[in-house]
Amino acid sequence: MFTRYAALSAFSAFLLASPVSAEQLFWGIQAEQLEWRSGEGSEAFAWDADAFVGTDELKVVWRSEAEYATGPSSFETLENQLRLQVPVSTFFDAVAGVRYDSPDEGPHRTYGVLGLHGLAKQWFEVDADLYLSEYPSARFEVEYEGLITNRVIFTPSIELDIPLVDDEATSRAAFGPKLEVGGRLSYDLLDRAIAPYVGVHWERTFGKSGRLVRAEGEDDDVVSLVVGFRLMF
Amino acid sequence: MTIGLLRRAFLLGAGLAAALSGAATAGEYSLTVDPVTVDTGAFTRSGIGYNGATPGPVLRFREGEDVTIRVTNNLSEPTSIHWHGLILPFEQDGVPGISYEGIAPGETFTYRFPIVQSGTYWFHSHTGFQEPDGAYGAIVIEPTKREPFRYDREYVVQLTDAHPHSGNRIMRNLKMMPDYYNRKQRTLFDFLRDTREQGFDAALSDRSAWGDMRMMPTDIEDLQGFTPLMNGKSSAQNWTGLFTPGERIRLRFINSSAMTYFDIRIPGLKMTVVQADGNNVLPVPVDEFRIAVAETYDILVQPKEDTPFAIFAESMGRTSSVRGTLATAEGQKGDIPDLRKPPLLTMADMGMAHEGMDHGAMSMAGGTHTMPDGSAMKGMDHSKMAMPVGAHTMPDGSTMKGMDHSTMDMGTSDPFYAPGSGLMPTAANGGKFLSYNDLRTQKPLYPHREATREIELRLTGNMERYMWSINGIKYADAEPIRLQYGERVRFKFVNETMMTHPMHLHGMWSILDTGKGKWNPVKHVVSVAPGTTLFMETEVDAPGQWAFHCHLSYHADSGMFRKVIVEGGPEGKAAALPVKTEG
Amino acid sequence: MSSSSILGAVLGASLSFALLSSGPALAAGSHGGGHGMHDMKIGKPGDPAKVSRTIEITMYDNYYEPESLDIKEGETIRFVVRNAGEFVHEFNIATAAMHEAHRPEMMMMMEHGVLEPDRINLEAAKAMQASMGHGMHNEANSVLLEPGKSGEIVWTFPKHADLEFACNVPGHYETGMHGKVKLSH
Repeated sequence: MFTRYAALSAFSAFLLASPVSAEQLFWGIQAEQLEWRSGEGSEAFAWDADAFVGTDELKVVWRSEAEYATGPSSFETLENQLRLQVPVSTFFDAVAGVRYDSPDEGPHRTYGVLGLHGLAKQWFEVDADLYLSEYPSARFEVEYEGLITNRVIFTPSIELDIPLVDDEATSRAAFGPKLEVGGRLSYDLLDRAIAPYVGVHWERTFGKSGRLVRAEGEDDDVVSLVVGFRLMF
Repeated sequence: MTIGLLRRAFLLGAGLAAALSGAATAGEYSLTVDPVTVDTGAFTRSGIGYNGATPGPVLRFREGEDVTIRVTNNLSEPTSIHWHGLILPFEQDGVPGISYEGIAPGETFTYRFPIVQSGTYWFHSHTGFQEPDGAYGAIVIEPTKREPFRYDREYVVQLTDAHPHSGNRIMRNLKMMPDYYNRKQRTLFDFLRDTREQGFDAALSDRSAWGDMRMMPTDIEDLQGFTPLMNGKSSAQNWTGLFTPGERIRLRFINSSAMTYFDIRIPGLKMTVVQADGNNVLPVPVDEFRIAVAETYDILVQPKEDTPFAIFAESMGRTSSVRGTLATAEGQKGDIPDLRKPPLLTMADMGMAHEGMDHGAMSMAGGTHTMPDGSAMKGMDHSKMAMPVGAHTMPDGSTMKGMDHSTMDMGTSDPFYAPGSGLMPTAANGGKFLSYNDLRTQKPLYPHREATREIELRLTGNMERYMWSINGIKYADAEPIRLQYGERVRFKFVNETMMTHPMHLHGMWSILDTGKGKWNPVKHVVSVAPGTTLFMETEVDAPGQWAFHCHLSYHADSGMFRKVIVEGGPEGKAAALPVKTEG
Repeated sequence: MSSSSILGAVLGASLSFALLSSGPALAAGSHGGGHGMHDMKIGKPGDPAKVSRTIEITMYDNYYEPESLDIKEGETIRFVVRNAGEFVHEFNIATAAMHEAHRPEMMMMMEHGVLEPDRINLEAAKAMQASMGHGMHNEANSVLLEPGKSGEIVWTFPKHADLEFACNVPGHYETGMHGKVKLSH
């Protein structure tokens, strides 16, 4: 009788999903950049952060990037994306989602997102996204963590944003890319949770896009000193 | 081997007779599962313990008795207790979802099973991350017969690895960033040093080879940041075992760590290994040994001087250690040796030398030694032994010196590591480091016979996603492994990862194939080094369903786990398997 | 050649080999000559006619019954040794230092297949004997027995000595398979 009872209860436990076989849900919040940018004639607060929840098979990621200028206080850029990530290879996830841009100046835009996110050879963290709308664009981001010591880390990064058609309302022209290059030196102060850093951030807009930016009375070539925190929870 | 059988038959008979007559010696035990505070000296955190403490009590059973253990769950979450290494009915094995449904908060579950073995074992929760959070204790089973060795006193030495983060938090961090807990990554300064030592090209090509794989040669322990404890005490808290000079002391080492392998030595004392995983082995004198997660080793030492001796356990990746003391008076402290230089994984550990690891056709550096009885000798690389003048030539053509084995560098030829492995252990004093190859069972539990079939289990994983699996499939997606009662299954483990995996089969013995036939050691955990293939055989003699998994907590939890179903069995012995209702 | 004499020869050979090759370790217990254990310090093979009593020794895994011996100085004893264990065991009368020097020898025999856990491989022993060019003789102070076998030693004890009886099969001494020989007036 005992055996039978135990067997039955084992079976019901199996059906109810055992602790070891249940698909576990994980979450995390990461801000690669959360910083003050101080350039020639421009001061801004900026962030680039991700939050995710999901399983090994599917992650839902909220990604937010923004630059909030302090001269006349306004969001120069404010992008929010909701991305679904599904593994497609050992090191890469396919991405699909939506992006919504809502800067204080200029029009708001909505895009569909298709992309790849993962770790390339030699530890380069790569994002390659295609943003689809009537004003499509492509973006390619690479980041590398260079360990000076196990806690002092130099992180160079490159982001290249390429409009595929003209969108004069946002000062962008087809194939007139915007390039952001950064170098940030951080120190893991509290575990990996809080890492203050200093660095430089260079933004350069090329081609016709550059001319549109200049026509707005802004600089198409800005070097900023940055100071901020990297966060991870 | 007949004796082994006879012994089993005798035990079974005795158990049966006792059960029928109702005259069995019966032990009654009770355990409470409690929230406790873990204080390592380095940090304090909340954890889980038994009878109000972590580690829990040492349960002392007698071979042949029927035990009744009442377990009361004082937690606000479900729990379970698994009796690690004990041979018992599957409903008593304590794995939620496989043996039973677990123990709900506030409930008392009564375990009842006969004790059919003797030796050193342990128990732990099999629910979530309660075990890494402190839910473990030791089991000592007195044999009915006299032990095949003499000792004057004994101590349980239970090693654990306390972490300031809870198990759940660790798992989440690993899923977010797999190298979250690796603080031994190679840095710019390491690169500059390598450039100086090996030249720029060599240093760069080494970096680029590892970078190609997106793996790290320093990633030995997977997780760092532990404070190892010995019987719940850190080095500073100094667990002490008292002795009188000249006494022979039995130390029952149990590695109840979540993730940490330890290299253990007692500077100044030779240790004689007498038991592994609860089964007596032919005694092996050693200077140092490595204990995989969830293994046990019993050793004898005989300190003759009136002086403290350090029991020193160093983590395999040399990131942490714990010292306890064998002392003649309280308050004495053994000297803490410096941590040795951390090893680096090599391409051999990445499986690049896989072909060389077939134990059946292993080529030795000096050529295989064919013995007079026609067997090939393994693990003894005579070519690397220093030969003094007057060396003797043996019948097999090898030469042999005056047999000072204590200074032979045996560690360099352990066939249970990939040739050229960075993990190949050597003794701190240059002496003898225990290898699986040295273990011979004292009592073969089963007649030696050909396996009836072979099952290949590739140990697989994706480090960047912190996913661990078997044959590329994690537990949640896997079919159970079905075995037939009465067969002898040969498991072939192929480790395709860069981690060392202590594989643990519940309910049945794991006969590790060291090429010694009936003398192969009988274990409950077999550690599979990276880049190696290892065989173990199991006599399928326990009906029911059982867990089979890597005993590294975070590997098991993320999917390196299987359910094993044993089908069939003699009339009245076959288990009422839930699988029958499933089908 | 009978198996026991081959065994004796191999044991003797390995024993004297130990004496020759690890001199310093043995300096205290032996004069280091070709006669191995025939050293007055530990006594000598006894004359069966002068035996004063017979002591039965039972060897188990891994201990002796009795666990110690009370012997009179100069007494000649017949030891009837029975291996009641499941493994090969030795009954060997010598000083602790001599036992210590003997153990690596036994280790060598085990590693080369002569000494198996529960039997003595005579094929391996023959091969080993063939390669040993020197000093073959039976050693009268020890007997090595497979499980279930019995053997005898007749031994005359010296006046003053610090002696042990021990089994030097690898690991057995270390786990307690040895006992004191108490010599009294």
